[in-house]
Amino acid sequence: MIRGVRCLLPLVLLATGACFATREDVQALHADVQSLRADNARSDSARRAALDRVVTSMNIVRDSLGLLSARVFKMQGDVRGDLYNVGQQLLQIQQLTGQSQQRVQELRAALEARQSDMQSSNAQLGAPAPGAAGTTAVPPTSTGATTPSSASPSTRPGATTTPAPAGGATPGPNQLFQISLEQLRRGSPGAARTGLQTLLQQYPTSDLVPDAEFYLGEAYHQEGNAAGADSAYAAVVSNYPTSPRAPTALYKRALGMEEKGNVVGARGLLNDLVTRYPRSDEAALAKERLRTLK
Amino acid sequence: MLESRSFPRSLSFALGALLAVLASPTAVRAQDTTHAVRIGLTYQAGTKPGVVVLAVTGAWGDSIQAIIARDLDYGDRVNVIGLPGTPAAGSLQSLGPSVSYPLWKSLGAAAVVQATVTSGGVHVAVHDVTGAKIVQVADFPLPPTGGSAEWRLAVHGVADEVEQWITGTHGVAQTRLLFVRGGRVYVVDSDGWGERPVSDAGLALSPAWSPDGHTTAYSILGSRGWSIVTKDVTGGAARTLPSTTTGLNTTPAFSPNGSSLAYSHGDEAGTDLMLVPLGGGAPSRITVGHGSDNTSPEFSPDGRRIAFTSGRAGHPEVYIMDVDGSNVELLTPFNFGDQNYRSNPDWAPDAQRIAFQSQIGGMFQIMVISLRDRSVKQLTSEGVNEDPAWAPDARHLVFTSSRTGVKQLFILDSESGRARQLTHAGGARLAAWSHSLGHVR
Repeated sequence: MIRGVRCLLPLVLLATGACFATREDVQALHADVQSLRADNARSDSARRAALDRVVTSMNIVRDSLGLLSARVFKMQGDVRGDLYNVGQQLLQIQQLTGQSQQRVQELRAALEARQSDMQSSNAQLGAPAPGAAGTTAVPPTSTGATTPSSASPSTRPGATTTPAPAGGATPGPNQLFQISLEQLRRGSPGAARTGLQTLLQQYPTSDLVPDAEFYLGEAYHQEGNAAGADSAYAAVVSNYPTSPRAPTALYKRALGMEEKGNVVGARGLLNDLVTRYPRSDEAALAKERLRTLK
Repeated sequence: MLESRSFPRSLSFALGALLAVLASPTAVRAQDTTHAVRIGLTYQAGTKPGVVVLAVTGAWGDSIQAIIARDLDYGDRVNVIGLPGTPAAGSLQSLGPSVSYPLWKSLGAAAVVQATVTSGGVHVAVHDVTGAKIVQVADFPLPPTGGSAEWRLAVHGVADEVEQWITGTHGVAQTRLLFVRGGRVYVVDSDGWGERPVSDAGLALSPAWSPDGHTTAYSILGSRGWSIVTKDVTGGAARTLPSTTTGLNTTPAFSPNGSSLAYSHGDEAGTDLMLVPLGGGAPSRITVGHGSDNTSPEFSPDGRRIAFTSGRAGHPEVYIMDVDGSNVELLTPFNFGDQNYRSNPDWAPDAQRIAFQSQIGGMFQIMVISLRDRSVKQLTSEGVNEDPAWAPDARHLVFTSSRTGVKQLFILDSESGRARQLTHAGGARLAAWSHSLGHVR
């Protein structure tokens, strides 16, 4: 028993002796802990500062991106607005060009009327008209210079022909066109038709021919001659497909067909209009018409 | 008839009356303005013939004389001598209903209107003073209720017929006008008498007359937006046009034959004009505005074309097109970049001109454009003047003006520039002038 105790004693001494640290040991340990804490705090502070810097940088970047985005949006808006304005200005120019062309047309007609008057006066005096050879509208005499429309009025149902004035001054194409248009708007389609047919016969190469052919259709329509109107409109579409009058003429043909009760024919023409002139106003109207056509 | 013995006394009256006439504003006006009117009698062309409307004896005689004289004056084609309400009237009134050609000639009268009340109406004779003879005679039936709206309309018809005899042009007295005040549509006689509401209380806009003068169409704000309704002018219930129950439907206009109605229909895609047959059928779109606003359609007198306002060029301008929507043409001229705009066209019944409102320096004025040569004439300059509408004679226009400080309706003679105030309660606007209502009772 005593021998067993003796054996265990060193172990007990060894185990209990380690639990009794000296004061210095504790102070050293405390200092170590403090140092460790200070190191950790410094490290945390550094990390926090780094994080703050990162956050600040991110905020700066975000603000920059926001500003950039706003600028881009503004620029997009400005560009869109500018494009819209350009579009509107183009539309205005288009409208004004149309108006100017009309004014030019009227001025040309007035000029031709004045030249005709001068020709008449000079003919009465027996003197040649000044500038008659160069500027006066003289009907072409060549039979070869004809377009399909030049022959069409005489072959159109209900068409009549007007001979060129025998002797004296001949009205020019602009004058004929202007007078005919006035007659049409005044409610005299017969007189308008006569004037337009004269224009088509005497000035088959005039740049007014597509318009004259179109308004010939209008005159026939006002007179109640549906076949004549259809023929004139068809001539515009087939002979002058690039004329601005072509989609209108095609639309008028379709409406004429619809009036006659030929829904299939009308539908075909409206589809043709949408296919051939998709950007025209008449195409938009045709699409609407196709929806409601029964 | 004046007896020869009393002639010197009458002559002294006449001289007094003549002085009074010369001193009156009417006479001054007549001196300042000369007009090319067609006259049926032997008068000098290019002048306004002087006309005397004699006193009318019998029941409602004073009213008959006053209405005829005033209508002739408002017609602006004759110079009414001794107009009721002027200083000369009293002197002329004392002369009675007799005719003395030398006396009237000395007063500058070219014609004398002599009306006599009969059992069934009124007997009217027009004397040619220069020829010293009666040139026109007719009996006009009048409704038995003197002073009623129908009776007044019939007397206006007499005045129009007399104007036709004297000038060769039918007057516009036998007409009525629709207008809007405080969200209600009202109707009023052409002389400003008999104003009464047509629509119920609410928010109504842009009334239009049917060609027969029986019906009006106007837009009204309901629970589902602005719709178009038609209603008898004399009363009855309003009927909503079936195709206008949704969206923004405004500015209706009847076609001249009354078979269809054009109006503007707005939705997310913009505002376009629609044409709907009134006998039944689906409406069809007749403008392609590409998102712009197209409003205020007005038919040409032959019904083949339509004038309208469109913003397709960036700001509102007046355009004309065929009734099927094709052949669109800019009508009102403007300079590139011009921010002022033009709108609200009204086609003159003679088909030669279109009236519209044009912004000048931020204020609207009434303009007229000739369809023949596209020349533009400004008709107003005082205050803000807008919403023109032609009378059936294609000479007079009704419009809204702020010249008195509040919006009122004024009638303007487009030839002389003479204007008269039609309404006197503030806030009247958006007037529409009827056709002759000779057949309407």
